[in-house]
Amino acid sequence: MAAGAPASPAAGSATPGAAAARTLVIGYGSPIRGDDAIGPLAAEALAAGPLPEGVRVEARHILTAELAEDLAACDRVVFLDATAAGEPGAVRVRELAADAGLASSMAHFHDPRELLAWCATLYGRAPRAWLVTAAGESFDYASYCLSPCASAALHSMLAQTRRLIERAPPDA
Amino acid sequence: MSRTVTIDPVTRIEGHARITLTLGDDGQVNDARFHLTQFRGFEKFCEGRPYREMPALTARTCGICPVSHILASNKACDHLLSVTIPPTAEKLRRVMNLAQITQSHALSFFHLSSPDLLLGWDADPASRNIFGVMRQDPALARDGIRLRQIGQTIIEMLGGKKIHPTWVVPGGVSAPLDATKRDAILALLPEGLEVAKRTYAFYKTLVPRFVDEVRHFGTQPTLFLSLVSPKGHLEHYDGLLRIKDAKGNIVEDMVPAIEYGRLIGEAAEDWSYMKFPYYKPLGYPGGIYRVGPLARLNNADACGTPFADVALAEFRMLQDRGPVASSFHYHYARLVEIIYALEMMQRLLEEPDILDARVRARARSNRDEGIGVAEAPRGTLMHHYRIDDNGLITWVNLIIATGHNNLAMNQSIRQVAEAYVDGNRMQEGMLNRVEAVIRCYDPCLSCASHAFGEMPLAIELADAAGNVVDRLSRG
Repeated sequence: MAAGAPASPAAGSATPGAAAARTLVIGYGSPIRGDDAIGPLAAEALAAGPLPEGVRVEARHILTAELAEDLAACDRVVFLDATAAGEPGAVRVRELAADAGLASSMAHFHDPRELLAWCATLYGRAPRAWLVTAAGESFDYASYCLSPCASAALHSMLAQTRRLIERAPPDA
Repeated sequence: MSRTVTIDPVTRIEGHARITLTLGDDGQVNDARFHLTQFRGFEKFCEGRPYREMPALTARTCGICPVSHILASNKACDHLLSVTIPPTAEKLRRVMNLAQITQSHALSFFHLSSPDLLLGWDADPASRNIFGVMRQDPALARDGIRLRQIGQTIIEMLGGKKIHPTWVVPGGVSAPLDATKRDAILALLPEGLEVAKRTYAFYKTLVPRFVDEVRHFGTQPTLFLSLVSPKGHLEHYDGLLRIKDAKGNIVEDMVPAIEYGRLIGEAAEDWSYMKFPYYKPLGYPGGIYRVGPLARLNNADACGTPFADVALAEFRMLQDRGPVASSFHYHYARLVEIIYALEMMQRLLEEPDILDARVRARARSNRDEGIGVAEAPRGTLMHHYRIDDNGLITWVNLIIATGHNNLAMNQSIRQVAEAYVDGNRMQEGMLNRVEAVIRCYDPCLSCASHAFGEMPLAIELADAAGNVVDRLSRG
C-alpha cells in the first residue's frame, strides 16, 4: 500500500544501466504485509510475460527519491499499488497529476504525485502517469500471499495495466 | 507558572519523535527532551528465531539503512560460527557498506537538511522543503538524486535489490562479483566523486553563514566513540573501538568491538522508548558521547584516501584546536565521508582478488554468543545475540547509532532552545532550529516506512494545567 511497510524484492526489475525505456511500470508495496504485496506481485507477473517494446517493469517496496530521474526519462509511467480504501478486490485506474503540495516530511516514501512533481521541477518534464490500485482485504503478516479477493483482483489489475501500456505512446 | 512547548512530530527526520520544552515563569527554557514515541520491540520478538534469520529480521528495523543492520547482524553470526570470512567477501561487504553510506548521507544532506541550509531557518515553512530547494538550486537537487541513485544502484548490483538485499550471509556473501558488474560499478564512481566534490566545495562556501548556529548547535563537551582501523584510520566495517574526550585525549583505544560491554552501559527513562547508552567509567548521564560522521572524523588519524584526507584537514580547521565540537558540523563530516566512500570503493574494486570466487566460509554455530559491530551512516551499530544448543535466539541486544547519540541530542536541543526560544512569543523559526539540531544527527528512529498520510507539525504552548495558550501548526 502506498504507505509501504518493510521489504520488497526487486522482482522483474531491469538490469541497472539498461537503456532507458519510454514506459515504466512500477509495482510497489510490502511483500510481507498480505495484500500490500499486490503491487510487486503484479509487476513480477507482468515482467514474466511478453512486453511491448520500450516497456520496463520494476518492483519496489516503496517509492524513493532517486526514481525521479528514471521517471523523467519516460513518456508514461504506470504505478501499481494496493489500497485499503474501497470494496476489497475493486480495481481502479486513474490518471495522476504532479502535486508539489505533497512534499513528504520523511524520506522513506514518496507519493507518486510528489515524484511527478520532482520530475517537473527538476527536469522540466513529467511523464503521463496512471495509478492502478487494487483494494485489499487483509494487510496482516503474510509473505507473498494474497487474500482470495486480492488474488482475483490481480488478474483485473494486470489486464488494466496491459491496456495502458499497449496503447500508442503519447507522442505517436 | 511553568509551561510546555511540544513539537510533534519532528519533521524531516527518519521516524517518529516529539520534542518537549518546559518553560519557566520568565519564559526561558528549563528543560528540553527528545522523545522517541514509537515502540518496535525487535529485541524481544526475535527471541526463539533461528540465528540465521537474524540478518533478514533485523534489516526490517529500517527501510533506509537495512544494509547496516544486515552487516552488523551477519558479523554477529560470523562470530557465532567462529569463522574468519574470506578476504574477498570482506572487501565486497565493505563496498556495500560504503555504497550505503553514500546514499544515506546524500539523503540526509540534500533532502532532509538542505532546506534549512539553503533557504534559512526562518523561511516560510510552506516552501522550506525539498521543493523550495529544487526551485532555488535545481542543480544541487539533481546532484542529490544522482548521488543517492549511484549508492542505491551499487547496492542493487551487489545484492540483487536496493532494499533488504540478501546477498550478505553468515560467513561472507552468497555469490562472488563478476567482472561485468565490477566494471559497471567502477564506471559510476568518477561521476559520483565529481558530484561529491562539487557539493563539498559548495558547502564550504555556505559554512561561514552559520557562525551563530555553529556556536549553539550542540557544542556540549562529550566523548566521541567510533571504530578505527588498526592504524587509527577512518573505518566503517570492522576495526577497533576508540573513544576520545572533548579535548582530544584518547581515553580508550584499540578495544576489540566484542568488548563493547566493558565500555558502554545503557540506561532507560520513562519518557522515551529510546535507550540512553553511556560510557561506563563516567556513569550515567556523565558518560555522554557522540557517534557518527562527526565522531568518526574526530577520532580518525587519517582517512587514507587522497581527496578525503584533504577534506579531513579542512574539517579540522573548523576549530582552532581539539575535536570539532559543534554538532552542526555533522553536515560537513557527512560530505567528507561521501568523498571517502567513493574513493575507497574504487580502491577496493580495483583490488586484484575482488573477483575471487571464494567468498563464503561455511560452518555451524560454534559458540553461544555472537557480537557484530559496524559503522552505520549514523554511527556505531552493535548487534549482540545469544543462542541455545539448537541455534535459536535466547537474547538480543541492539544498540543503534541514534541511541548512542540520545544523551547528546537531548543536551543539544536544550542548548538550542536556550539560545533561540523565547517562550513569551513563539516564532516558527525558533522551533525549526530546535528541530534542525536534531537533523544534524540524522536520527533514524527504528524507522519502517509507516508514514501513513500527512505528517503535519503542531506545536502547542500549554500551561502547567495543560491548557493550550498558544499554537502554531504547519502542513
